[in-house]
Amino acid sequence: MDYKSRVFASVFPIPSLSHTTPTPIATPDLAYTAPGSSFGSPFASNVSGQHRAIQRNLAWSTATRFLSLPKSNRSFDLHRGQRSNEVQDAIYYLLVGDGKSEHDGEEGLVEWYTNEARLHFANSMRSAVKDLWRKKIDLRHAWDVLHEVQRMLEQVQNLYLQPFTDHILPFLYQSDGSSSTLRASKVAGHGQAGVADAAFWKFRRDIHAVFAHCLPLKRFSKTLSYVLYDAGCRLFHIYVRHDGVQPSTTPEDTKTFRQRMTSLLQGLERVGLGGDNAQKAFAHAMDKLLDSFIASHYLKVDWYSKKSVAPHLRMWIQHGFCPLVELVMECLRCDPSTVQPTELQQWQEMALGRLGRARVDNLFEFVINWDKSLGAILDIKEYLKLTNAKQYLIANFSQHISRRLLHPGVTTTYILDVYIFIIRAFHELEPKGVLLERVARPIRRYLKEREDTARIIISSLLTEVNDETGNVFVSGGELSSEIAGEMQRPFANFHQDADEELNWGDMNWQPVPIDASPDYKKSKVEDVIWFLLTLWEREDFINELRNIFGEHLLRCQDPEYEKEIRLLELIKIRLGDDKLQACEVMLRDVLDSKRINASIRADSGNLLQTPDHTQHPETPEGAGPRTPRTRRLTTSARSRLQSTPLSKPPEQAALNAQILSSYFWPLLRDDQFLVPAQIQKLQKEYEGRFERIKGMRKLNWMNALGDGTVTLEFEDRTEEFEGLTTWQVSVVYAFQPQPGEEKVAGAKGKGKGKDSSLSRTITQLEEMLEMEESLIRQAIAFWVGKSVLREESPDTYSVIESRSTSAADEDAAAAAEELATVQAAQSTTVKSQADLLTDKKPVYMSFIFGMLTNQGNLPTMRILMMMRMMVQGGFPFGTEEIKGMLVEMEKEGKVVPLGGELWGIKK
Amino acid sequence: MALSSNTRANGGGSSATVAQRLQKELMDIMMSPTPGITAFPDDENMSQWTATIEGPTETPYAALTFKLSMEFAANYPYAPPRVLFKTPIYHPNVDFSGRICLDILKDKWSAIYNINSVLLSLQSLLGEPNNSSPLNAQAAELWDSDQAAFKQHVLARHKTPEELDA
Repeated sequence: MDYKSRVFASVFPIPSLSHTTPTPIATPDLAYTAPGSSFGSPFASNVSGQHRAIQRNLAWSTATRFLSLPKSNRSFDLHRGQRSNEVQDAIYYLLVGDGKSEHDGEEGLVEWYTNEARLHFANSMRSAVKDLWRKKIDLRHAWDVLHEVQRMLEQVQNLYLQPFTDHILPFLYQSDGSSSTLRASKVAGHGQAGVADAAFWKFRRDIHAVFAHCLPLKRFSKTLSYVLYDAGCRLFHIYVRHDGVQPSTTPEDTKTFRQRMTSLLQGLERVGLGGDNAQKAFAHAMDKLLDSFIASHYLKVDWYSKKSVAPHLRMWIQHGFCPLVELVMECLRCDPSTVQPTELQQWQEMALGRLGRARVDNLFEFVINWDKSLGAILDIKEYLKLTNAKQYLIANFSQHISRRLLHPGVTTTYILDVYIFIIRAFHELEPKGVLLERVARPIRRYLKEREDTARIIISSLLTEVNDETGNVFVSGGELSSEIAGEMQRPFANFHQDADEELNWGDMNWQPVPIDASPDYKKSKVEDVIWFLLTLWEREDFINELRNIFGEHLLRCQDPEYEKEIRLLELIKIRLGDDKLQACEVMLRDVLDSKRINASIRADSGNLLQTPDHTQHPETPEGAGPRTPRTRRLTTSARSRLQSTPLSKPPEQAALNAQILSSYFWPLLRDDQFLVPAQIQKLQKEYEGRFERIKGMRKLNWMNALGDGTVTLEFEDRTEEFEGLTTWQVSVVYAFQPQPGEEKVAGAKGKGKGKDSSLSRTITQLEEMLEMEESLIRQAIAFWVGKSVLREESPDTYSVIESRSTSAADEDAAAAAEELATVQAAQSTTVKSQADLLTDKKPVYMSFIFGMLTNQGNLPTMRILMMMRMMVQGGFPFGTEEIKGMLVEMEKEGKVVPLGGELWGIKK
Repeated sequence: MALSSNTRANGGGSSATVAQRLQKELMDIMMSPTPGITAFPDDENMSQWTATIEGPTETPYAALTFKLSMEFAANYPYAPPRVLFKTPIYHPNVDFSGRICLDILKDKWSAIYNINSVLLSLQSLLGEPNNSSPLNAQAAELWDSDQAAFKQHVLARHKTPEELDA
């Protein structure tokens, strides 16, 4: 409105469509004017006694016209000019004077102005602001958008506020009686509110509400939250971020950046966007920031210094995180804007909790990489002080274990190794061992189920770490070097006092941890072997130990048995002297045998003497009656033969025997077959001498045990083989021409030239050697593999007298060698459980039959129980085997299943 | 001191040695079972056994099964086991409560006998009763006079193990 029109309007107010127009002026006031007052004058307000309504209407139109906001879009410049006295009076009249709104129906000037601002905003600004939010906001532009919004809003806010502060507030203050001071708009607080302050705050609040209303609040707070998060990331140089934004390579100037953030936040706060919403957004941002910071700075494990990062994290919270929070809170005018010590502690715990959980998620890795991962474990240890941390750790780690460890794809050796690592790591984590006990329970259960566990443990215990060829005596080569390493450790304080709980004088006594399970046992020592040995009942373990120890002794090459003696001593310390009697006897047997060998050899002079090499591998030929040993010391003995060359020309052979007390040894292989005649002769000889020395004790040869060395002479070469099994020796010896055959062979040889050797079929060999076919085939495969024999036609073999270069031979040899290796791996000296079952099956079956006949129908469990009690020497099998036998007997028509687990005799 | 321990070792033997001996006998029976004869302990203390014998062919008892109970004293094998027929049997040397009149179970007992030999003797007793000292005089008389009637009595008195259990 230009000045002219304003002048005109002051005299003849123009009716307007806008709400700013008060009651149309043209409308005559029907009331009479008071006597002596002019009629219908614009200055009626000045005239006292004039009717109030009219006066108010006039003042209203004057004031509103003056205060109305520009209609045109985006013209924020204010050409309102000076207010005239007239306007001043009008405003005064309306705000403070008689014209104050008196009842609800009457609109006050302040309300009107608020509406005016609201309308103005709706008409001119809202669309612009909304435009900014119409599209998805790219993360990169988040800052810009917020800046822009803040700028625009601040501008309009100034537009609205200025008239308000210039033209309305002063009057209100006057009425408050503090007319002289126009307070700075920002200082006012609600508490001291006079009318003026209250009005001002109300106005501001209204405008802010309008502003807030035009923004999509959720998106706004998300954006703000992101911006804060981004700021935090940049300030703390975080590399791993939630948003995947790669940090700029050039380090940003933290100061300027902080400035930027501060100004934005303060601006937002000024336009009313800093309230609760912003604080919530801020909280979200800080939450994420904490995660990112931990992930970025602390998740890396320091594999070298092996230190916990927890103290550093605490420091960061105190000196890095808190100042940032305080800064932002100050910008957002939070109350109070400082961090309390309790809050600080809470945050530190929170951060530690997050670090801990992240660490626990990777605990499995840390455990396998023990002890390089000590730092991480220490972090977790710190974390465990928090509530619920233990439960989380147990649940999480158990899950990892069952997923990654306890499945058929993992070798037992590996499980054992990991178990040892777990023991060590958890000992560090929680010395009392409650956690370990919880976590290890499934592993222990699983290990018990695996068949080869005991075997591996014991074999490993018997291994020497420093020994390069440590695994000579383990067929599968499955050894846990960790266990072996443990065995080397000193265990000074191993002796655990059984009555520890009753030791009243123990000044270091502590109660059992509150979260321990009932079967918790205090283990004062971090003794891995102890954990492994307690996997089974001690007796079971010792039985297994006996088997493996026996096998080991038989295969052992060291004449002094130094290592074995030492290891037995070590195990004795752990398991107790009394339990290992059998092993001691076994050890004494082999040592005694050596002495007896020497004395017999010295005695006999020539016959049994070893030509030049005493260490010539031995052919232990075992003997041991498998039928009940009458009395423990009527020695049934096995002996070890030392034999030298067998093949042509048969020169002198030597024999070394090992005499074993069968009562103490585990059941050994006792395949019967004929050893070469020479050896038989030696055995006889040896037997005789032994009986003379040992006074009528009988020897019982076990031919399948032992090893031998032979020298084979061919037409074109001589080869020596060491460490052969006895059946291999016997089989190759069988290719020696027999007394009657020599001529035939010779004649044949002449006729055929090269192929002068004998050929034998498998059946022939079976008859000659009285050996089982499987053993023969095994031996043949070995010799074919060594290019000593060749398969002429199926099941017929002959000696390769002169080595040809034929590819067929070589191929066959390679294939056979492979086969021989596989078979060798399967053969063991000590009988396996399965062999034992096959052996004893008839006896067991007659047990079952007798039981069912006399005791009536029985369930499988009862049968098993009876077997365990009644069978002499124990019944080392379970229900599975019982069921297997029952089914077999059912097929033979002896028993019938009666439903459920019940079995009875077939009638 | 030495004397007393000696006496115990030779004369009676503790229950442990009896159990050991019986376990060994059980093992022997199982290692080489005799057709038609089985025996098995009732529980882990081994002193009570149940045995089953089948009637010898070509006797009135052919194809019948008899259960016996055996009770071993603490001085077994120096005293004979107490053997009773559990299955009702009609036999000159067995009374109606199953008591048996057999010399080797009484004064002719010797420590060289064992469960298996006792059961074998009992089995043969079925085919060759000792009618000179009957416990069941009627049976002894009938055995000599009327084999067919004897067999009828046997069958009438006999019960299968199932019937016994019921």
